[in-house]
Amino acid sequence: MVSSGLFFAGNLFGKTIFTQQKKTKVTILHTNDTHSNIEPLPDNHSKFPNMGGVSKRFEVIKAIRQQEEHVILLDAGDIFQGTPYFNKYKGTLEMKLMSELGYDAATMGNHDFDAGLEGFFMASEHAQFPFLCANYDFSKTVLKDKTKPYTIFKKGKHSIGVFGIGIELEGLVPASKFEQTIYLNPIKVANEVAAILKKEGCDVVICLSHLGFEYQTDKVSDRVLAAQTSNIDIILGGHTHTFMEKPIELNNSEGKPVLINQVGWGGLHLGRIDIEISSEKSLFKKQESISVS
Amino acid sequence: MIKTFIVICIGAGLLACSSVTEVILKPSIVKLDATFPSNSSIDSIVKPYKDSLAKEMNVVIGTSPINFMTARPKGTMNNWFADAIFVNQTYNVRLTDPVMCLFNVGGIRSSFNKGSITVGDVFKVMPFDNELVWVKLPISSINSIESYLTKTGGEPLANANLVQGKLQLNGFNSQTKFFWVITSDYLMNGGDKMDFFQQKIEVKFTYKLLRSALIEEVKRQGLLVVDSTSRVTF
Repeated sequence: MVSSGLFFAGNLFGKTIFTQQKKTKVTILHTNDTHSNIEPLPDNHSKFPNMGGVSKRFEVIKAIRQQEEHVILLDAGDIFQGTPYFNKYKGTLEMKLMSELGYDAATMGNHDFDAGLEGFFMASEHAQFPFLCANYDFSKTVLKDKTKPYTIFKKGKHSIGVFGIGIELEGLVPASKFEQTIYLNPIKVANEVAAILKKEGCDVVICLSHLGFEYQTDKVSDRVLAAQTSNIDIILGGHTHTFMEKPIELNNSEGKPVLINQVGWGGLHLGRIDIEISSEKSLFKKQESISVS
Repeated sequence: MIKTFIVICIGAGLLACSSVTEVILKPSIVKLDATFPSNSSIDSIVKPYKDSLAKEMNVVIGTSPINFMTARPKGTMNNWFADAIFVNQTYNVRLTDPVMCLFNVGGIRSSFNKGSITVGDVFKVMPFDNELVWVKLPISSINSIESYLTKTGGEPLANANLVQGKLQLNGFNSQTKFFWVITSDYLMNGGDKMDFFQQKIEVKFTYKLLRSALIEEVKRQGLLVVDSTSRVTF
């Protein structure tokens, strides 16, 4: 009791209450728009000869797992379509391999509807990870209860919340492929879900988005999502095949920073964000700060 | 004063001890170039799929005399693609009304190179599992097709030409009230903003993949037919 008092007194003169800190490191790895690129691109490819390939990605991830205790592997959609592997095997090999690589969660991109809802369902039977789709209402379809809006990963004493946001399907995907799927407003849903995740005690909230990085029009993009929501710390995007050398940082609706990242397409790049969480006991209300180094 | 602080502290300590959390994000990127090793367990999962696929994809089905080009307003690939579908769909059909083919430059994902053509090459040209449809349109829709083609700078056409911005359909006469457009289900359903298809009167579904028709035509032609005429002028 007395010691508490001393610490409290200490706080009057400095910022820190406890000198002892508990640090947890969580490594987020992410891909997007892999588009059935099972093998590396051919050696005569005009831009990216011999790049990518699931086998190489496995080795890279394996090496990171050997070094890091807490790894979360995520994908932001468009797993399907782009090579004959998809046409012939309808996405089953993609799902099997992602399970082998140890993916923890993914969201659906527009091309993940290309085999129809039934086709996606059949392929996803081979996925040993959840599909996170917060703004697609599948309740009137074969995918009812097959996806989740969000999931929470417990890593050490900390929690990382992850949810998925998809792009409007009308005009992009034939209606026969998405059937009775209802598209919900991504901004509204993202705000709701992110608030739930923070309430559940998540130290970091990640949005897997297939909205696309940015548009010339007023179409909803990751930039718009970042600016018009709160409680999201990181947006891992896709759809626009944007190769980013490093993530960009924007302010959310409360002026807090949001990190947006996207790693092109085809599994040519693997994105990595190391999250270092350190917490100290405080006698006052819960505070948090997030910064990018 | 210090006593008071201690009391407050004890009280607060009993009620709740919240935490101050500091989060630091450190982003980086791994570029998977040729220097990374592959993994034998993954390779062994892929192998049977790869072998089975290769058997199918590496089959040579024809020969190309040139490097085909997809371009706007004209391209040898545009013409070959549209003509191949037109012939495939109409060679044993008696046409009473005008019939044209209309596709999109964006939907031709690759071009044939000079030399052998494999099944895999056709998959690169048309990776999407789109089906062929016949769409019946009223002649009143012609204006919106003309303005679409003018706006985009031209799309692949067969059995029709856009001459100085005006659509000329083979078989069109004074009695013509409607015509048929052979296209993909994707475009008919509003893909690439071809909104004029909303004026459709009737649709005949072929349930045939566009790609299957292209494969049949490569096989039938053997040595691919080259037509470099311009079908679109403004």
